[in-house]
Order: sequence, then structure tokens, then C-alpha cells
Amino acid sequence: MSSLKSHSLLRLISISVFIFLSLISISAQEDPDPNSPTPILLSESDSTRALVASTGKRNSSRSAARIYSANQRIEIFVTNIDLIDGEGANAFRVYIEDAKGREYRFPVLDVRPSDLQKDVYSVVVELADDLHYWAEPPTTGDVLVRLTWRGLSSNRVRLALGGTGGVIKDDQGSAPTPLSAVNVANGSRTGSGPTSELVSYRWSGDRIRFLEQGTFGPTPALDTRIRRIGLRTWLAEQFEMPYPSVLNPYPNIPLMPTTVTTDCQNNIPVNCVRDHYSMYPVQTWFYKEALYGEPQLRHRVSWSLGQIWVISGVDTQQSSWMIEYHQQLSRNAFGNWRTLMYDMTLNPGMGNYLDMIRSTRNNPNENYPREVLQLFNIGLFMLNQDGTVQTDGLGNPIPTYDQTTINNFTKVFTGWRDCRVADLNASCPDATPNGPDYKDPMSLATGNHDLTAKTLLNYPGVTNQNVAACTGCTAAQIYTYAYNSLNQALDNIYNHPNVGPFVSKLLIQHLVTSDPTPAYVGRVAAVFNANRTNPTQMKEVVRAILLDPEARGDIKTDPRYGKLREPVQLTTNIYRNFNVTDIAGTGRSDGDINRFPSGQGQNAFNAPTVFNYYPPNFIVPGTTLLAPEFGIYTTGTAIGRANLGNSTIFGQINVALPNTPSGTKINLGDLQAIAAADTTSNQLLDHLNTRMMHGAMSPQMKSTIMTAVNTVASTDTLGRARAAVYLVATSSQFQVQR
Amino acid sequence: MKQDRRQFLIRSGCTLGMTALATQMRHFGLMSAIAQNVSDEKQDAVPSDYRALVCIFLSGGNDGNNTVIPNHNDATISNYTTYFNARNTQGLAIPQASLLPIAVPRMGGLTYGLHPSLGPGGGTNNGIHELWALGKMAVVTNVGTLVAPMTKAQYQNGSVPKPFQLFSHSDQVSQYQGGRSDIETYTGWGGRISDLRTLPDNPSGLIPMITSISGAQLFTAGQTTLPLAIANAGTGLNNVLSPAGYNATAPSQARLAAFNQLRGIDLSSQIVAAASHVTDQAIAANAVFQTFQEVTATFPNTNIGNQLKQVARVIKKRTDLSVNRQVFFVQLGGFDTHNNQTAANGQTGLLTQLGQAMRSFYDEMVVQGIGDKVTQFTMADFSRTFNPTGTGAAVGTDHAWANYHFVVGGGITASDFYGINTTNGTPFPTLTFNGPDDADSGTGARGRWIPTTSVEQYAATLARWYGLPDANLATVFPKITNFANTNLGFMQPPA
Repeated sequence: MSSLKSHSLLRLISISVFIFLSLISISAQEDPDPNSPTPILLSESDSTRALVASTGKRNSSRSAARIYSANQRIEIFVTNIDLIDGEGANAFRVYIEDAKGREYRFPVLDVRPSDLQKDVYSVVVELADDLHYWAEPPTTGDVLVRLTWRGLSSNRVRLALGGTGGVIKDDQGSAPTPLSAVNVANGSRTGSGPTSELVSYRWSGDRIRFLEQGTFGPTPALDTRIRRIGLRTWLAEQFEMPYPSVLNPYPNIPLMPTTVTTDCQNNIPVNCVRDHYSMYPVQTWFYKEALYGEPQLRHRVSWSLGQIWVISGVDTQQSSWMIEYHQQLSRNAFGNWRTLMYDMTLNPGMGNYLDMIRSTRNNPNENYPREVLQLFNIGLFMLNQDGTVQTDGLGNPIPTYDQTTINNFTKVFTGWRDCRVADLNASCPDATPNGPDYKDPMSLATGNHDLTAKTLLNYPGVTNQNVAACTGCTAAQIYTYAYNSLNQALDNIYNHPNVGPFVSKLLIQHLVTSDPTPAYVGRVAAVFNANRTNPTQMKEVVRAILLDPEARGDIKTDPRYGKLREPVQLTTNIYRNFNVTDIAGTGRSDGDINRFPSGQGQNAFNAPTVFNYYPPNFIVPGTTLLAPEFGIYTTGTAIGRANLGNSTIFGQINVALPNTPSGTKINLGDLQAIAAADTTSNQLLDHLNTRMMHGAMSPQMKSTIMTAVNTVASTDTLGRARAAVYLVATSSQFQVQR
Repeated sequence: MKQDRRQFLIRSGCTLGMTALATQMRHFGLMSAIAQNVSDEKQDAVPSDYRALVCIFLSGGNDGNNTVIPNHNDATISNYTTYFNARNTQGLAIPQASLLPIAVPRMGGLTYGLHPSLGPGGGTNNGIHELWALGKMAVVTNVGTLVAPMTKAQYQNGSVPKPFQLFSHSDQVSQYQGGRSDIETYTGWGGRISDLRTLPDNPSGLIPMITSISGAQLFTAGQTTLPLAIANAGTGLNNVLSPAGYNATAPSQARLAAFNQLRGIDLSSQIVAAASHVTDQAIAANAVFQTFQEVTATFPNTNIGNQLKQVARVIKKRTDLSVNRQVFFVQLGGFDTHNNQTAANGQTGLLTQLGQAMRSFYDEMVVQGIGDKVTQFTMADFSRTFNPTGTGAAVGTDHAWANYHFVVGGGITASDFYGINTTNGTPFPTLTFNGPDDADSGTGARGRWIPTTSVEQYAATLARWYGLPDANLATVFPKITNFANTNLGFMQPPA
């Protein structure tokens, strides 16, 4: 089966190979093996007990088990890793499981080459609970130690903590991993092989994973394309691609002048309420672009940015505000963050949502000033450059600002309103006769701007923290003063050391994994910072996120790696993976599919609050898992997700005017052919394993699904295909992108 | 039909023996931890009666200054004129004639006023104002997040630690729900009560002790507690957690069996295990929800009305569920009224929805014969600045601090103000900009009252009534020891 597939692929490729020949030779050199080696924790020679050094000396493996006490610092040893520049302690995490099944994380203080042997590293660990989740310390006795690195888990070894013995059992199949038995050639990779000239990117698991991260879902066609041109070339193409797709321009919806009851009496003009006073036009446009658009990466990054710089139809009721807002966002998706900050600050949609549009010196409004600091740029606590929180001598996080800072920023942001030609120097080219100008940047009513002195954020290396008062100023002077103050304030924020790690971590969480290592955050933040003045800074940031070794690789084994697919992604991934069309099966869906994400707590463009659908710091109850999307994953929405699978896979969205003129369905013809060719369903499951789960389906999962699929008559190939796709799509194994 | 579905769900093996605890063990390897808890709790008596707490969260931060208002002219304390002068120019002051009067024993019998939206409105019922006269509603005053009691001087000189990130939505919500203000917590105080009380009070574990009708919330999360989260009464209980698309045919049942079995494998990924665990809980609860009885009282057809109606349905099943204690969470959003506060979708409309829904729920509990066994209480992010922002129709308020909260049910002591006295010797703050109770200072002071009663004191009073032993108070509220009074007295002592 797989050889058949590659034959046909090869044929396909050879047809077009002359076109891409030059590209291929470049990318074949540029696309390295994405897989990192799997770390191995060393044990003693005759047991799975960790090889440990505690006082600068390694224990003799022949002595009795040595007992280590709480808060002690020990060295354990890891091999089969391949460090890149800057990869140190913050690239590793060490977890232990105690006899009660509780997991603790111990801080990794240092990782350095050991004196044991080349390619063996010493990992200095403090035996102190780092997460403070459990009220009690680990139980006394043997515990199992795991080390993770770049989304990969080591074997687990035993450690005697406060005592020895106890009920904990070794992992099934685990064996001693003494230095002598671990025959590792450093840099050896899993899954690598000779690179064919014709196949530029052969790591099939990583291709699908990459598309899960950088698009709204893999498709067989995109997979083929990536295989041909590689990740880097694909990224370069995406960065330059026009947006949105030619076939799917932004809707053009004028703002209505007053309120829904006045403007849309009896819903006249036709669909007045739906088109003007709901997010319907934005949603259907958005989903069409997600399902069919070529510029997938910009669409995906814009969607992520929209979940950071949140505005919501819940408050900003008219779709026209949102359309203009999204245009600003997407235009800046691969641009410079500071430019984005300016554009967002003066965007009338944002102004309307967070009240800056009506904030005046006599009636100042703190809403935007607070969120531009807390949610959009720097967060509440001082961060290290790897995104970890800085603490004071008592271990308390150090705040980035206080209410006084908010009050000062509030003053800076007073006086702007929807663009009016009456305002000084305001041209408002897109002003409409009826209602406020929802397109042009807000203009300044000079009389409403606060003229007193302001003190901005303070931080190490701050310059230009003070804005002087404007005394005796003319309107023209106030105009200059206000815009200078605004820019100074935005510079003051942008130059805060938090911005790089803060933004980097959020984008990693949206695209790749919920709880990235500090090393990963640090690598991306360094790119952010190195490109501060680059007009295409965010291209470099997005590239760094997607090509990072912690993002890449065929299969990730760290138990905490990955992210729960947000409902929008879950829906579009199912649709895209299975050739979504209109009901006729020949045209395109009308994009009216928001009913599915909406039912699972993610009503697109209608976030409940400025805090987005789910908070970036959400911890799964009963665990210490940092997993934002679990904020909207409950018993109710879990079943809702299963029902989403049922509706999309066993059902379809029928044509129903006016909202669904074309309808939406998936097409399983290719799966039916596979089901028909192999009535054991082996090929069907293998195919879905590659296509939906990038090869991560366990044998047990496969056999469980096969058993159910084979209760459907073999002649009912559609029934078999549906059952198989449903069971994969509704499984937790698929709901989690990892 | 419904019976059929229940039957085959049971036959498929997905519900058998799958109590919340069992699934937790399987997914998180907590077997021994639970076993330990069991032995710790054995000495506790199992209560035979029923009690429930219903948390109503006013998301966005309800403006308490327009919810409970001085309605008297006593010149020695803040009176109606104080209020009027601070808010009338901008168009935010409620006319005195519109206030719904309540006589307050603790204030020497002086009259205060409730927002007019809390009276009859929407045609469903007479609202909660009427419950004051009936002795079924208490007001807890000047409540807010605190690490320890704090004067204005201490606030200014920093000698007492402040709650982290005052006036920030997400942080203040997490402190209200988390039950402590010194550090961020992974768990909420409802969840921690449930951690401790699930074994004695919910021995069957058919559904979790906590149910949220508003998704996953910090309040509902414990270390071993995951809430049940279900849709509001727009969906029948039998359908809120029902997987769609199955029938009684063999292939369909085989598919259902596989759907269920898949959650028992590949648990080495903790994220996968966490997702499977939640689905397991849903499937288990679905089986017991297949039959339910409709409530008697008429509920308003609003979001909050339907949330409370769903709570009432679950409570009506309490005997079936063999549960003695339950905690519920519902939420009404939209209170972040930086503008348009007086509009139909601003505070004015929201309080109507709130008052109507709370009253329907109270009436339903009386019908169910447990009016004194079920207590509704409000929480919110914070109150809002006494000084308005904007004017006219657009008038609103910004983020502030201490607030007033309602406690409704037959279990309260008496209709009165409760809470720790402010600087003026009463539990009602001095409504003066830059005054002794204002955290703001200087000419730009906007009226953000410094709380005298902490969230923990408010919550602990409720938790005690619920049956949390005194010995467990500090486990649930780690900073309660910073406060002398852990019982504000608004709840009747446990029987």
C-alpha cells in the first residue's frame, strides 16, 4: 500500500519535476532531518536505578541504593542528545512520579558535558517541588524520574527519595541503561535515510504535523506540495502570497448609522440584521478562506493574533468594525510588532471595543490602557528572556506596573475618537455620510487630550519614561504633543523586555504546543528582539516558531507535549482533510459552519470577553498541565466535540436559504476505494494513521477501531470509511494536536 | 426510547463502576492518593440532610455603588445626597423615588435602596427585593479581595501586602474564585470544598459534587475535583451529555464500544488522558441524566434564568443521585460597563435578569421543600468606580474594589447588612472621594473602596453552613488565619 502510494507520488512528481528542479536542489540542502534524538537517562549497570552523583562524585554502581533527601542537589546523566547553541538547563524538564501516582517537577539547574564520556551530559537537579501543586511532598521511597527535551521523553529510571523501596513499578519493558550498554553515536537520528534528489522532504509524520501547526488543517494536496518543496520554501511562498485569496475577497459591509431596530426595520434591506448586525459575513468569509484559501499561514497567524488583540462582536455588534479590524491585523501578521501596536491602538474597532474612542481628559477610560499592557504586550509580571517569571528574594513574582502606571497611560490615550474631518489634520478618506468612520484610524480632538505630565513604564534600561506637560499649547501644538506622546508610550511598551518572550510564548501556544520549554520561548524571543526594527519582523518570528527543533519531528513522546485543538481548528481540520465541498460535491462550501465551533465554546469573532475564549494560563483541573484550550473543554463541550464529529462525518449541512446557499459536506470517495480494496480494514486504518495522526496511532488504537469498523458490512464502504474517520476524529488522541 | 439509550450505554460497559473517582484514578494514577483520603475521612459522619450552594458570578464586575444605595438623609454618614452629588451630573444617579427601600437593622433601622431592576420586572415575578421583607435575603457589605485587613494608610505605605493586580479582571476573578489573594492558585474554593467533602457527602459519585452551567471555572476546580459542566435548561438534562448518532444496530453499538474503549488507552500522554477523563465523566453522568423531572416554578427565558432552571432540575434529582451536598456555578456576563451602563443591555437590564432568575429559583426551592437548604450567593470581579466615566446615555464606570453581595435563601439568619465595620463604625463605607475608605487619593480620586470584609470571610461563612468542618477551613482558605472573624453570621448555624 505505501509503496503503491509512493509510486503514484513519484509519477506525479516526475511530471512537474523540471519546474521545481532548482527549488528542490536548494531545499534538499536546507531541509535537515527534523527529528531530534531521544534522550536516554543512564542507570546503574544492573538495575534501572538512576546513575547519580551527589557530592561531585559518582556513586559506585555496586554499592547499596543511595538515598537522596528533599532539596538536595544531585546530578543525573543523560545521553543521546544533540544540543544547539544556547540550549542549556531551560531546555530540559525533570519529572518524578511517586508511589501515590503524583507527579512533581524538579528544577533543572544546569546541564553540562560530563567527565564520564563524550556525549554524556550531567543534569543538575534540585530535589524540590517546582510546581507547588500538591500540598505534601512526594512519598518517601523509590520514585521514577523522567527527563523531557524538545517534546521527547527519556526512559524512566528509579531514584530513592528519602528512603528506598516502595510500591512503584518500573515501566513495562524498561531495562537498565548503563553507560556500557548505551551505544550511541551522537547525532544519530531516528527515521532518517538517504535523501532522494526527487523527494525533498521525506519525513511524512513531520509534514502533517507542520501543516497542523501552520494551516487550518492538512490536505493530501498540501502534503504532496510540502513533500516536493520542503518546509522552508513553502514558508517563503506563504510569506509573499496575496491575502486573502483572489476568490474570497473581504466582504464590503458599510456601517449602519444607528441601531439594529432603527436600521433594520423588518429586516429590510434583505438580511440586514445578519449582514450588518451579526458576525455572519465575517465568519463565512473566514471559514471559506480557512477551507480553501492558499495563503493559509497568514490566515492562521492572523487568527492567532486576533486571539491576543481581542475585539468581539458581542460588544462591537456591527460586522463592519470587525472586517476593518481583521484587515489591519492580517496586514500586520508578517510585519513589525511596533507597527501592529500603533495600528491596533488607533483602529476604530478596537477603540470602540475597549473604549478609547470615547476616553477624554475629563472622562478618562482605563480599559484600553490596561489591556494594552496586560493582555497584548507585556503581562503582569517581569519575565526573563525565556518567558519564565522573575521573582524577588521572597519568591514572589515582580509586577510589571501598578495602578499609577495605568492612570498615566490612560492620560496619554485620551482625546482620540472616530475619524472626523473637523479634527485637526484629519482627512478621513473612508468617512461615510452616515455613522462614524469605522475604517480610518481615529483622529484627535485636541481639546479632549490630557495635557499634564505622565510617567510611563519603568524597567531596566528604560529611556524616555517621562512625558512632559503641554502648557500654554495651541491646538497645533497639542496635536503634535499628543501623537508624540502616543508614540513615546508605545515605544515605552515595545521596548519593555517582556514583549519578546510574552508575544513569542503566546504565538507558540497558539501554533504548536501549550507549554513550551523556556529554551524554545527564548530562541523565538531572541529572533523577535534581533528583528525589532525589521519591517518584516514577524516573518522571522513565525519561521522561528515553526522550524524550531521543539516544534519539529515525526512523533513527540513528552507526555505533556501538544495542545488540545481549539474547536475552530478541530472543525476545519476534519473538513480540509476530507475534501470539503458544497452539497453538490462539485463546488465550494458557503462557509456557514460556525455552528460547530460555536457549540463547543468558540463562537468565532464573538469572544465572550477581551480575555479571549480561553486564558493563556489555564491549568487543567486535577493536573498541573498548562493547557489554554482546556478552558473551554468540559463535560458538555467534550460531548459536543463528539457530536461535531457525528454531524460532519455522518451528516452534512444542507442547503437552506438564506444562510447556507451551497451547504457543506466532506467526501470520502478515496477512503471508500481503500476500504473496498482491503476488506480487513488494515489499509484504511494505516491510511488514516498517516493522514490524520501523522503516524502516531498506537497499535491498540488501530485494532480497537478496526474491530468496530469491521462490524459494518464490507460492501458498505462508505459506512466503513465513516466509522473509521469518526472514531479517529472523536478520539482524545486526535483532539490533542501533538 | 430514552430507556433504550440508557440501556445500551450501560451494556456497552462505559458506565459500570465508573464513578468520578474511578475514572480519575485511571487517568491520573491517583489510586493511592484517593485511598489515603478515604482513610482520613472515615471518622466523619455522613450527613443525612441536603444542602446546596449556588454561586452566581456577575462577570465583568457589577457596579455595587448603583446596586445598594443610601436611601436616607442621615447627615452623620453617607446618605442619598452624597450618592446623588457624585453621580448625577454624568447621568448615573438613580432618582431616590425609584429606589426599592430596605430597612437595615444593623444601620439603626435606616433605609437603604436597591436598584429598581431588582423589583418586579419582565413579568415573571416580583424580583428579589420582596425577599428582604420576608427575611430571605442578606447583603454582605464592603467585600473584596484582601491578603490581610488593610487600612488606607497601610494601602498607601505598603506595610500590608496587597492582593496581586488589583483592578485587573482576570486576576480579581481568580482571587474571588480561588479564595486567596496572595498568590495565584490552581484550584478554586468550591473545588477544594469538594475535594474534602466528596467522599462523605457524595459517596455514590454518580456525578461530581460540583456542577457548572457556565463551563470550566477556577471556582469549580479542585485537586481531585473536576466539575460537571452542562448546558442550560434550553437543553433537557437527558440530552446535555448525550453522544449523538448512535442506534441499537450492531455496527452502531460496536462503534460506541470503540468510542468508549479508546479513552482507556494511550494514556501515557497526559494531555490525552486529561481529555479522556473529562469525556468519561460526561458519559457517566449522561447515563444518570436519562430521566429527569421538570421544575414547577416559571423561570424567565434568559440565559441566567435557564442556567438556574437547569440547576433546579439537577437538584430535583438529588435523591436519585444520592448526593447530600452540591455546589453549583452559574454566571451572568456583561457587567464590565465602561459605557452604556444604564442601557437595556447594561447594568439596568442585567440586574433585571438577575433578580428575576434568582427569585424564580428561590420559589422553586420552596416548592421542592428545600427553601432553607439551598443558598444562592453572588460574586463578581470587583465593584466599579464611584466616579462615573462618560456622560449621558454613554455613562459608565471603571474598575474598582469592594462590593456588596447578595445571599438569598431560607438558611440566612435575617435580612440585614453583614460584614466588618469600615472606618465610620458601620459596615457601609464612607462614599467620599479621597475619603478614609477610598484607595485612591488626591484630587483625581475616583472612589475605589478598600474592603473591610475579605472574600475568604464571606466564603468561609457559606462553607461552614454547607458543612465544612472548622478544622478544614484553613485547608480551603489558606489565608483565613489573617482574619479574626471567620463567621460573618449571616447563615443560620448548622442544625
